[in-house]
Amino acid sequence: MLDALRYEWTRLTTLRSTYWLIGIGLLCAAAIPVILGFAAGDETLFPEIIAVAINGGASFGIPFLAVFMAVIGIFATGHEYRHGTIQPTLTALPQRSRLILAKILVVSAATVAVTFVSMAVNAGVLMIFFGEIPGLFDDPVRPALVGYVVYALIYTLTGLGLGLLFRGVPSALVVIFLAPLIIENVIVGLTMVPALDWLVPVVKFLPFTAGSLLMTVGSTDMGMGTDFGFFDRWGSGGVFAAFAALIVSAAWILFKKRDA
Amino acid sequence: MITAKGLYKRYRKTVAVDHLSFDVRPGVVTGFLGPNGSGKSTTMRLMLGLDHGEGQTLFDGEAFTDIRRPMNKVGTLLEAKPFHPTRSARNHLRMLASANGIGDERVDEVMDLVGLGSVKRKKPKGYSLGMAQRLGLAQALLGDPGILLLDEPTNGLDPHGIHWMRDMLKHLASEGRTIFVSSHLLSEMQLMADELVVIGRGTMIFNGDVDQFVREFTQSTVIVRSPSAAGFASALEGAGAVVAKGADGELVVSGMEIGAVGHLAFTANVELSELSTRSASLEEAFMSATGASEEFIAAEPLAGNADPAAALTPASKTGGADNA
Repeated sequence: MLDALRYEWTRLTTLRSTYWLIGIGLLCAAAIPVILGFAAGDETLFPEIIAVAINGGASFGIPFLAVFMAVIGIFATGHEYRHGTIQPTLTALPQRSRLILAKILVVSAATVAVTFVSMAVNAGVLMIFFGEIPGLFDDPVRPALVGYVVYALIYTLTGLGLGLLFRGVPSALVVIFLAPLIIENVIVGLTMVPALDWLVPVVKFLPFTAGSLLMTVGSTDMGMGTDFGFFDRWGSGGVFAAFAALIVSAAWILFKKRDA
Repeated sequence: MITAKGLYKRYRKTVAVDHLSFDVRPGVVTGFLGPNGSGKSTTMRLMLGLDHGEGQTLFDGEAFTDIRRPMNKVGTLLEAKPFHPTRSARNHLRMLASANGIGDERVDEVMDLVGLGSVKRKKPKGYSLGMAQRLGLAQALLGDPGILLLDEPTNGLDPHGIHWMRDMLKHLASEGRTIFVSSHLLSEMQLMADELVVIGRGTMIFNGDVDQFVREFTQSTVIVRSPSAAGFASALEGAGAVVAKGADGELVVSGMEIGAVGHLAFTANVELSELSTRSASLEEAFMSATGASEEFIAAEPLAGNADPAAALTPASKTGGADNA
């Protein structure tokens, strides 16, 4: 297993895209506290604002870093097929499950580390503008930030699973962007139509919508005015995790059965 | 030593590899021949567990997927350019080496060995096909393996490169390694290979040494030049030989050994200016052996037609064309 981990680490760190994706993700996430600092630098920081600033707008519906890390996840598996490197990879490391496990572990570790770095950078920006971050390590900010790390991790693993499932990059990218930004928003919007109110109980099972509740501060009604009966933070996280697990498992099983 | 037993692979209704069994011995270069679409690449992928099918291949007694750090035992080259375009060639090899406990110094060593030392930090997207093949060979040699499995390694190489590849593989074989190499360059294979595995439409046509293959699938002819060629031709035909007239007026005799031709000339008191045997080439043997096994048959050009496109007419061969 150590050989597989070494392989995946070398693969990840010898790709230029890894660095620019992480760099852009960190910059975009850091832009949120910078904008906040300029716009409201003389106001009091509320827990909701602290959470949004430190997670780089993720709880506000713009999860920059999570999306860029998900693209790295897609590349971890999709690139192997796109550029035909799956053949030399499997002749260097023919134990397929070991290879996938190594990819999951290395990409997960990178995601968690980069997310912590991003939070530290964003906290630093807040400190520069506001001088202090009240309640950073207390409820309700702390669990929301822990939830953000979990959210970014699950988002990335979903990307990794999609890349492996579709054996390429474009289809996985379409799904990772289309599902949260369009499909789920359309479904949530359709619940406002009286004839389609039967969709209301479905919303709490929409994976990306449920996943975003991991980062919520306070109540989980998302301020939508409709009672979707969302699960609590970790229950909603469980829905998102189950979705990611389903994709990764299906991709893993198919990867073992398919020709390379 | 490679031992393949009962390799079988089906794609929906098409059987790509049909119960192939063969051995590849160490110390010699074994060529793997077959027409396009005959299943050579699929066979190699089956052997390495890249494709799923039936049968078993053992590399010195172990299945490929059971080997820990396989690059140290089996070196492979399957596709011409399986590289990420923006990862340097050196890093590509470092990545594969890291999965097999191979150090960076060995990476640099094989890059120098294949002549890419000066461009090892360049991205392979700028490599020519020949350079990519050299990088592929460097990849195969990374773990200094005892077994090499190479699919069309001479594709895209210039004449110097082909010569270098031939010498390299023969040298590696002389060290006692097992070399299994497919190629379409039959003249090259004739110079390089000691033994052959020949397949057509996924089935075994021949497994043995090159000379035996040529003997088995071609007929040697006897060349005769004589001032009395016309008369001697009648005498040869009378003795049961088949005689054809060559382009330079020589007699091309088949169905009779050279000794018998000489004896007949002696007894008939015919003066000979040449009496020699013409052996068939590997290419002729290959065409003879696999003619009915071609999967994809191109049109043949018609002589004397000015328009090359219009000069094409479907080949008269039967077999695969109707089904392809």
